[in-house]
Amino acid sequence: MRAPSFLSAAAVCLALGARALAAPPPLPAEHLTLQPLPPRSAHWVYVFDEAFNNEIDQRVLLFDGDSYRRLGQIDAGFFPAVNLSPDGSTTVVATTYFARGSRGARTDVVEFTDNSTLAVTHEIVLPPKRAETSPSLFAIAYSADARFLYAAYVTPAASFGVLDPARGTVLGEIDTAGCALVIPSGPNRVSSLCESGRLLTVTLGGDGHEVSRAMSEPFFSADEDPVFVQGIPTTNGYAFLSFLGEVHEIDFSGAQPKFAAPWSLVSPAEKGLWRPGAIQVGAIHRGLGRLYVPMHKGGEGTHKDGGSEIWVFDLASHQRLARWPVQAEGLSRVVAVQVSQDGAPILFAATEHADLAVLDARTGHVRHVEKQLGQTPWMLLNPW
Amino acid sequence: MHSLDRFLEHSSRSLARRTSRRSLLATLGQLLTGAALLPLLPVDRGSRAQASGAKPGADGPENCEYWKYCAIDGFLCSCCGGTSTSCPPGTAPSPITWIGTCHNPGDGRDYILSYNDCCGKTSCGNCPCVRNEREKPMYRPSRNNDLNWCMANADSNYHCSVSVILGVAEK
Repeated sequence: MRAPSFLSAAAVCLALGARALAAPPPLPAEHLTLQPLPPRSAHWVYVFDEAFNNEIDQRVLLFDGDSYRRLGQIDAGFFPAVNLSPDGSTTVVATTYFARGSRGARTDVVEFTDNSTLAVTHEIVLPPKRAETSPSLFAIAYSADARFLYAAYVTPAASFGVLDPARGTVLGEIDTAGCALVIPSGPNRVSSLCESGRLLTVTLGGDGHEVSRAMSEPFFSADEDPVFVQGIPTTNGYAFLSFLGEVHEIDFSGAQPKFAAPWSLVSPAEKGLWRPGAIQVGAIHRGLGRLYVPMHKGGEGTHKDGGSEIWVFDLASHQRLARWPVQAEGLSRVVAVQVSQDGAPILFAATEHADLAVLDARTGHVRHVEKQLGQTPWMLLNPW
Repeated sequence: MHSLDRFLEHSSRSLARRTSRRSLLATLGQLLTGAALLPLLPVDRGSRAQASGAKPGADGPENCEYWKYCAIDGFLCSCCGGTSTSCPPGTAPSPITWIGTCHNPGDGRDYILSYNDCCGKTSCGNCPCVRNEREKPMYRPSRNNDLNWCMANADSNYHCSVSVILGVAEK
């Protein structure tokens, strides 16, 4: 019975030979290259990942809201402060490193990243007193003309450093006792939020040293209704939201801040029931004059709870235009929002489950949900 | 605001403004040493008993809902080798802190709590817990849990947080 098995083997060989003849050619050798960034887009967003579970390794992730691709990363160290230069060309990271990784001598440093390459270009070493705190636009900030860079210090006594980013030097330190953070305005003014509910405004000379200071009248009560420190850029300054939903719009275009009459995100019936809450608690499209706020139902102590809905307001009329029930659409609570400033705006919403939702900022339509973008994406920055 | 709250906040703020960091640390160190010598309160004894033997429960110090954690932000040291009042081995307590006022349902009293960070190792990563009752933004640092309170330690890396009873809040 050997003839049948011999025939079978021959058939198998023929079949294999035919397959070999039909096989495609081998893949060509590949070349290792460095991927360049595409041209900057208004729909990019810089996602600050606080990396809550390993805070010495925080980072900024660059994400494209059109292609839904992650484009690159900027390392950010321990409890960093992150911001962009006024022209969007530079990401500035003020951070802390320890000599032995997780321990050892502390070095505070400001690192400058070229946003066209995502490479660090230079740095400035700071005194070891940088404010290590939750993300805010006001822990490191540029003057309007980028001549100065301001770094908030807390030891816990509060002050700030004035830096020369072009020359890479620390010009000096200015005491702000009882007031914290650096809210920049114009080429040479820095305001700080005070425990007394006032704004301290320090005016600098050309050498970066203090020329004068002025204290505003109180505009909020830290006991009754504190304002979030995450101010939202407007056309002429910043809007600060209070825990109970008051909107304080402050015009920083003059020598001293001017305070508009506050208005409320909530109706009398909603007050104390619905409230804003998040780490980055609002975004404004300056061209459309629209304010986006993560809102939730909750009581005292829920000011960092994310929003189950995003409410949309018209800044001119103070009218609520829409309620977008993002939680009902399958997202977890929204802890940070940002909106692109172009004519086809995108609203980015980071959630407590570390997803990044991409919404049409005109309609609220959820276009895409990027799952698990980092650990704790708590602040979103626009390229311009 | 209760009077003891006010006193503690005022003291902390005044010290921060008026003194150097070295003298601030020395003074607060004395304050916290004094706090450690306070007679143990009934509820504090309860927490120690649970930490030393009892299984964690909804009202235990390994649970974020535990009453003493009403303004904590970080990782519970009870889950990291320490207890609700002790730092894990190899870390160092922060001498400067933020303060909370929490209601103990066990005896119906409000207590002033000192939330110290434990420092010198990287994030514990176990039992994350963020609660914000009466928590204030960082322009009121004595009530703010966003700051890294290891900031003044020789090794200022953050590991976990404890909650230490300082006394009863006066009505």
